[in-house]
Amino acid sequence: MKELKILYLYPDILELYGDFGNIQVLKYRLEKRGFKAIIEPYSIGDTPPNFCDYDLVFAGGGADQEQGILAQDLITYKENIKQAVDNGTFFLLICGAYQLFGKYYKGVEGNKIPGLEIFDYYTEAIADRKKRCIGNIVIEANLNGKQTKIIGFENHGGQTFDIDTPFGSVLFGNGNKFGDTKEGFFLDNVIATYLHGPLLSKNPELTDYIIKYCLDRKYDEDIILEPLDDEFENKCREQLLDRFLTNNK
Amino acid sequence: MKNFFIILIMKILHLILKICGKNGGNFLGKIAYDWSPDIFKYFKIDCPIIAVTATNGKTMTNNAIGYVFKTAEKKVISNTEGNNMETGILSTLLKNCTLTGKVKADYLVFEVDEGYVPVVFKDLKLDTLVILDFFRDQLDRNGEVESLILRINDFLKDYNGNLILNNDDPNVARLGKSNPDNKNVYYFSVDKYDYATEDMKEAGEGKFCPFCNTRIEYEYYQYSHIGKFKCPNCNYGDNEIYKLATDIDLKNRTFKVDDIIYKIRFNSIYNIYNFVAVISCVSLYNIDMEIVKAALSKFILNNGRLEELEINGIPTIINLAKNPTGSNVSLRILNEDDDEKELLFVLNDNIADGFDVSWIWDINFDNLNNVSRIITAGTRAYDIAIRIKTSGFDSSKIEPYLDLHEAIQQLYKTDIKKYVIANYTSLQPTRKEILRQEENLL
Repeated sequence: MKELKILYLYPDILELYGDFGNIQVLKYRLEKRGFKAIIEPYSIGDTPPNFCDYDLVFAGGGADQEQGILAQDLITYKENIKQAVDNGTFFLLICGAYQLFGKYYKGVEGNKIPGLEIFDYYTEAIADRKKRCIGNIVIEANLNGKQTKIIGFENHGGQTFDIDTPFGSVLFGNGNKFGDTKEGFFLDNVIATYLHGPLLSKNPELTDYIIKYCLDRKYDEDIILEPLDDEFENKCREQLLDRFLTNNK
Repeated sequence: MKNFFIILIMKILHLILKICGKNGGNFLGKIAYDWSPDIFKYFKIDCPIIAVTATNGKTMTNNAIGYVFKTAEKKVISNTEGNNMETGILSTLLKNCTLTGKVKADYLVFEVDEGYVPVVFKDLKLDTLVILDFFRDQLDRNGEVESLILRINDFLKDYNGNLILNNDDPNVARLGKSNPDNKNVYYFSVDKYDYATEDMKEAGEGKFCPFCNTRIEYEYYQYSHIGKFKCPNCNYGDNEIYKLATDIDLKNRTFKVDDIIYKIRFNSIYNIYNFVAVISCVSLYNIDMEIVKAALSKFILNNGRLEELEINGIPTIINLAKNPTGSNVSLRILNEDDDEKELLFVLNDNIADGFDVSWIWDINFDNLNNVSRIITAGTRAYDIAIRIKTSGFDSSKIEPYLDLHEAIQQLYKTDIKKYVIANYTSLQPTRKEILRQEENLL
């Protein structure tokens, strides 16, 4: 039986906005097709993982205070993470994790929290603490040559700069900064984004894109994934795209 | 003088509203507060003021405290309708004061929104503050739980009144240290119940000690992050308990405090916490415990908070759930009931609900006990359907409807017992539609 090994980073800390749902959706769509999903959680105090052993690494967003505690832990794996990114392990990074993988996060008082420096982007908190990019968001991403609308929810005070390869262009909502035209960061094997929802719950094509990438890489093939019953997902997308893009609310 | 006129005008407005058959809600308070933000100072109140705050359970606990006092023949003024921000409390005071601002009662009992405690009690002298729990709730509107706790912590730094705290919530118990000079801190707790678990079953907060950042250790979890905990490094959590509920029997709806067995009308572990808070509170005012016992045995709420109805002979339980913990508690009650049942989940994303519905992924839908069908409705009917499907529930037994009326008609096509979970703005429309279902058949 074909299987994917997924490393789930800090499930007990990065779990604020239902991001755990991404793991559930991945597992659901793998198992429905007869693939095995091996999900291994890692958190502070656990045996150190080797990131290169995994097909997919996932991390979500968390509360500010707790995120500070784990940043110190994650930074000890910096070299190993770099290696895994170069090897082609897929990284799905949401919100706080997105920011952590950049150069730094500059707080309101100008204090810099160093990031993992895996990627060149950086994030700065907006001066007004009460101002955050909050709301439903729709972006359009290019997945294997196919323009695909991605629906999610953003909630971030940080403004992320210096991105040449965004995840998608914004159709509704803010994106990397207030009123931005671009959202997230995208490489072949990395998606870093502010989209909650959880991201994968309303975007089955994106989930399948990630699954296909991981299976193709692991088993050196060009797999055609068996279609699943996506009635609820399709109706949900139809309803929300109509509401956000046509009626603008 | 200005405040005198404001009160006079509000009294006249109140009279007009009354004649028109309107209650007014926050309306009077809103106008008065915009006019004079320090109007709270103007009231002359000689009796104790008691406030209840929390993420979940405010209305039930507040109303139960008021009900106990009333049963003891005390005069109580309270915001029983749930208007719990500064404008709502101000409205309640305006309706019940004399023109000179005198409020005549034996007790004022208020539920206060957890974000508004420092605002309301800047100028009103608080005698007792009861804090039940803090959970994640509408993050896009309220922000993180931590910032909320820090605001209340700041308020408590120079508060010396009675402080009644849930010792089984690490987010609440920590507030007992906000003012080390306050000698009036009382902790309550509930003994382990039958469905307590060794691991956390539902999303929760407070994993690290707020004093030394060490990971907190739990002996057991009752629900969410509520349970017996202690910091292994600094012993935080190890407090002397003022009132402890033991012998929890949810089937027979009884529990014991200080050798008195209380029978209640509710069957959730979460209600036991509310009622131990009530007992802790009223015991500070020397209310005869026999009266408390009699009051709690009769106390109910008819507003969709664990409301039990019969619709055309079909047992129906409705509960408000506006955040993960509220929903998880409802599902606990459902899972602790072995009868066959159908579930209706109504999810809206209107402004008062918060626009972000990702919290539904923090609800534990795993292994639902004897649920034969699930209907979803509300503006986010499909989101919740996807959520439930992904947890492993057979998707052919899930029926989403954007139209609430249609959803409820479909729900009552069978005569199987119903559990209904509805979030904030969907609760009253759902309740109304269900009650209409009964009339239709008559």
